Amino acid sequence: MNKKKIPKSSFHQVKAPMLFLLPNMLIFFIFIIIPAVSGLRMSLYEWSILGEHDYSGLLNFINLVKDHSFWNSLGNTIRYVFFVVPLLTASSLFIALLVSGQEKSVGLFRGFYYLPTMLSFIIVGISWRWILGDQIGIVNYLLTSIGGKSVRWLTSPAMATASLIFITVWAQTGFYMVMFVGGLQAIPETLFEAARIDGANVFQIFRKIKFPMIRPTMLVVVVLATINAFKAFELIFVLTKGGPGTATKFLVQSIYQVAFEEDRMGYASSMAVVLMVIIGFLTFIQFKLNKKDYANE
Amino acid sequence: MNKTGGLILKIFLLIVFFFPILWIIFSSLKLQNELFTFPLTIFPNHPTLQNFRAAFKSGNFIRYFNNSAFVAVVSTIITITINIMAGYALSKYIFKGRDLIFSIMIATLMIPLQVILVPIFILEKNLGLLNSLWGIIIPPAATPTGIFLARQYMMTIPNSLIEAARIDGGGEWFIFHRIIIPLAKPIIATIAIFSFMWRWNDFLWPFIVIAKEKKYTLQLALANFVGQYDVDWSKLLSMTVISIIPLVFVFLLFQKYFIRGMTSGGVKY
Amino acid sequence: MKKILSTLLLLAAVSMLWANGAKENDSNSAAPAEKVSLSVLWFNDGNESQVFQDTMADYLEAHPNVSLDMQLVPFGDYEKRLKLMIAGGNPPDIARLTNNHVAMFADNLVVLNDAVPNLSDVTAGYGKASLAFATRKDGSLVALPTEATANGMLVNVDLFKNAGIDIKKLSKTWDWDQWYDAMKQVVAKNEGLEFALGFDFSPHRWSTLLYEAGGKFLNDFGTGMGFDTPETLDALNFFKKLHDDKLIPASVWMGSENPQELFQAGLVACHIGGSWMINKYSKGITNFEWAAVNMPKRKIRSSVPGGKFVGVFKDAVHKKEALDLMVAFSDKEHNSMYCKETLNLSARTDVDIAYPSRSADFKTFGEDLAVTPAYTAADWKAPQLNKIYSYIREQIVEGLLGNQTMEQTAKNIQAKGNSFF
Repeated sequence: MNKKKIPKSSFHQVKAPMLFLLPNMLIFFIFIIIPAVSGLRMSLYEWSILGEHDYSGLLNFINLVKDHSFWNSLGNTIRYVFFVVPLLTASSLFIALLVSGQEKSVGLFRGFYYLPTMLSFIIVGISWRWILGDQIGIVNYLLTSIGGKSVRWLTSPAMATASLIFITVWAQTGFYMVMFVGGLQAIPETLFEAARIDGANVFQIFRKIKFPMIRPTMLVVVVLATINAFKAFELIFVLTKGGPGTATKFLVQSIYQVAFEEDRMGYASSMAVVLMVIIGFLTFIQFKLNKKDYANE
Repeated sequence: MNKTGGLILKIFLLIVFFFPILWIIFSSLKLQNELFTFPLTIFPNHPTLQNFRAAFKSGNFIRYFNNSAFVAVVSTIITITINIMAGYALSKYIFKGRDLIFSIMIATLMIPLQVILVPIFILEKNLGLLNSLWGIIIPPAATPTGIFLARQYMMTIPNSLIEAARIDGGGEWFIFHRIIIPLAKPIIATIAIFSFMWRWNDFLWPFIVIAKEKKYTLQLALANFVGQYDVDWSKLLSMTVISIIPLVFVFLLFQKYFIRGMTSGGVKY
Repeated sequence: MKKILSTLLLLAAVSMLWANGAKENDSNSAAPAEKVSLSVLWFNDGNESQVFQDTMADYLEAHPNVSLDMQLVPFGDYEKRLKLMIAGGNPPDIARLTNNHVAMFADNLVVLNDAVPNLSDVTAGYGKASLAFATRKDGSLVALPTEATANGMLVNVDLFKNAGIDIKKLSKTWDWDQWYDAMKQVVAKNEGLEFALGFDFSPHRWSTLLYEAGGKFLNDFGTGMGFDTPETLDALNFFKKLHDDKLIPASVWMGSENPQELFQAGLVACHIGGSWMINKYSKGITNFEWAAVNMPKRKIRSSVPGGKFVGVFKDAVHKKEALDLMVAFSDKEHNSMYCKETLNLSARTDVDIAYPSRSADFKTFGEDLAVTPAYTAADWKAPQLNKIYSYIREQIVEGLLGNQTMEQTAKNIQAKGNSFF
C-alpha cells in the first residue's frame, strides 16, 4: 500500500472507513463485545449461575495448573487440531483445484462435495454415530458381510479419535473448498495464458501462479480451521460424548461441563481464557508467517 | 493429470462425500421398524413417503420452515451488506486503530460461546428480543468470519483502481458501490452461501432466544426429535432431507458467480 | 447479481408479511388486561406437552381468563435453558421438572407449604418416595409429583426360550449369579447372538447395581460421600466383568449406541432401562415376545426411583394463577388422565389406571420399586450428585477401559463428590 500519495486525516481516510465499519461494529459491540467482557471477567470470580459471585482473584488460574482433567482435555484437543488442520487444508485445496473450472459438470461436482457442509451438526453427529455403530452400523455390516472383521470405530480410544478426525474433514472440506474456489477464480486468466505460452506444466502453474495467488485465502482457511478445531464441541459431543471415557473429551466440552453441570462459571471462564491465549498466539504466528512470506517475494 | 484420471478421481470423491447422505435419504424412505431390522438393507424394501407426510403433519412444520427462511434470508442480506462494507474499510483504507479493530474481531472468534451464554441471554432479555426472530437475526449478522473473508479478498483488488477513481472525482460511496461491489461478486456469493447456511443451521442462537413453539426454527424442531434416550429417526431423517433443499438451491443460485477473472478487467499485475 | 438481490428482497418482504401475520395472532390472543397468559416450560419424552394441554382443557374452559403459552425445549438443553432463564431473572411461570431439576432448583421454586392452602389435602394421595424427591432439606415441599419412574429390566422372552430358559419363572427369585449364567446360556444357545445385555449409558441406571450390592453414593447423614466402600467395588467389578466377558456390548458405554435400539433389533436379550421403555416397546416391537422382569438380587433387590414434577418459580410473573393451575393439574382426576395418556406410572398411589395394554409389566416395575430402600431417593435428590453426573460416567468408563482400577474409580468419584459438599 502506498502511503505517500494519500493525505492523512482527509475524509476518505478517516471518516469514510468509520462509516463503512459502523453498522457492523455497532452490532458487534452490543452483542459480542459486551457479553464477552462480562463473561471473561467471571474468570476472576467464583461464579455460580444460580448462587453467589465471590471475587477470587487469580485463584481459578492457580487451580487450573494442577487440574488433571483440564490438561487431559487440552492434550486431546491439541492432538485433534494437529491432525485436523493440515488434513482439512490439504483436502479442501486439493478438491478446489479439481473443481475450480468453468464447465457445467464441475459445478455439479462442487455441489456434491459441498453437501456434507450443509448438514447441521446434529444430523452429521447422529447419522455418523449410527453409520459407524458397532452393532447396528451399516459400515460394519458391509465389512462383515464381505468377510471382514467389524471395527470399533467410535468405541476404542484410538479409533474414536481417528474417526472424529475423518468425520470433521468430511463435514468441513466443502466449506473451505468454497473459499479456495473463490480464491482460485480471482486469478486473472492472463496469468495462465502467459504461463502456458512459456510451456509450464500443471505443477509449475500451481507452484508459481496458483499457490502465491491464493495465499490470502490460505491464511483465512488455516486461521479459521485452527480456531474451529480448537473450539470443536457440539459435533463431538453428539458423536462420542467425549468418550470412550475421556479419550475424545476436548476443551470446550470440559468448559461446558464445568460451567453448566458443576455450576462453576468462573472456573470455566478461566479455562476459556487459557484457550483464547493459545489460539490467539497461534493465530498471531500464522499472520506473521503469512506477512513474512509476502515480504520475501 | 489427464481427463479420465481426473474424472475417476472426482467420482471416487463423490462416493466418499455422498454415500452417507445417500444413506440418510434412503433411510428417510424406510419406516422406523425397517431401520433397525436385521439384516440391514441399503435400499428400502418398501419405499414410502409416509415419514415425509408425518413430518409435515407433526407440529407446525410449515411455520418452522417459514421462520427459518425468514431468519436466513434477512440475516444474509444484512450480513452481506455490513460485512462487505467492513471488509472494504479494513482492507483499503489506512487509519489509526485499523489493525486493532481487525484483531479484536478475530479474537472474538476464539471465545467459546458457552462461557458467555449467560450475559448474552440477559442482554437479549433486556433488549426485549427474547422469543423474537430479530433476536436471532441481528446479533450473529456481524460475523467476523465474513469480514475476514471479505477483507482478504479485497486485498487482492488493486489500489490503482480506487486511486484512479478518486482522481476522477468519485466519492467514497460511489467508488464502493460502482467499483468495489462489482469486483467483489465472487466473495459476495461466497458469503451469501455461508451466511444462509449458518443461519439456516444455527442452533445456539435460536436455543438462547427462542422457546415459544410459534417462533421455532427448523433446527429447534429437529433437536426436539432427539430425546434423552431415544431418537425419532423417521421424522428426523425426513425433516433433514427437506431442510437441505433450500441450502442446495442457494448454493446453485450463487455458485455461478464463481467466475474466473472477475478482477482481470483493466487490471495489470 | 441484481436479479438475485431483488429476488432475495422479495423473499424477505414476503417472509416479513408472514412474520407480521404471526404477530397479529399474538396480540389477538393476549389482549385485555385481566387476562393471564401463563408461560409453561415443558420437555417431551413422547407426547407429554400435547397431553398436558388436552388434560387442562376443562380447566381452561372454566377459567377463560387464563391461557397457556407453551414453550418447548429439547430435553438435552432443558437444564441449561432453565438456568439461563433463572439467572436472567426471567423464569417461566410453571415448568415440568425431573427429580434432578427439583434438586437443582429447590431454592428457586415457590415453597408450597406457605403458598398452597390445605396442602396436606393436596398431597394426601401421593406416594412417599415421590414426595421425598420434592421435599427440600429443610422439610418444605417445592414441587408436586406427576409421574413416577423406576429402573428395571426388560427381556426378550423368545431368546431365553431358545436357550431352554423360562425367564418369567426364573426371574421371580433369581440372583446375580443365576442372572449371569442365564445370560451366558442365552448367548451360547442363540446362533448369531453376540451379546446378552443392553445397559443404559447413565450413572442413574448403573446405580441400580450399586444399590443391589448394598452400596450408596452419600453417607448415612447426607453430609458427604459414602461411595468408596466394598459394596461399591462389588457393583463396579461385576459391571466390568459383564463387559470383559462380552455380555454387555462395548458400544454402549464406550460409544453411544442406544441399548433400546439394540434390544429392538434383537441384538441383546435384556435391557436395563426405565419404566418409560414399556411404552416405547409396546409400540415398537412386533416380531418377538418381550416382558418386564424383576431385578435379580445381590444383597438386596432394588430399583431406583425417579419421577417428573411440576413446579412454580419464585420470580414467576403470574405466581397465583400458576399455583392454582398446578394444584388442579395434580388432582386425582387430571393426574390419572395425564398418566394414562402418556403411558406413565402415576406418582399418586390413590389412582388405579387401566392402561390400554401391558399392565402386568407396569406391575413388575412397581414390585421392584416397592422393595427399594428410601436412601436411593436421598442420593438422587442431592444437588452434589447431579454436579458430578458426567464425571461418574467418565470414571466408570475409565475403569472399564482398564485405564485405571475400579478402586481408583471409586476413590476419584468419592473425592470429586466431596469437593462439592
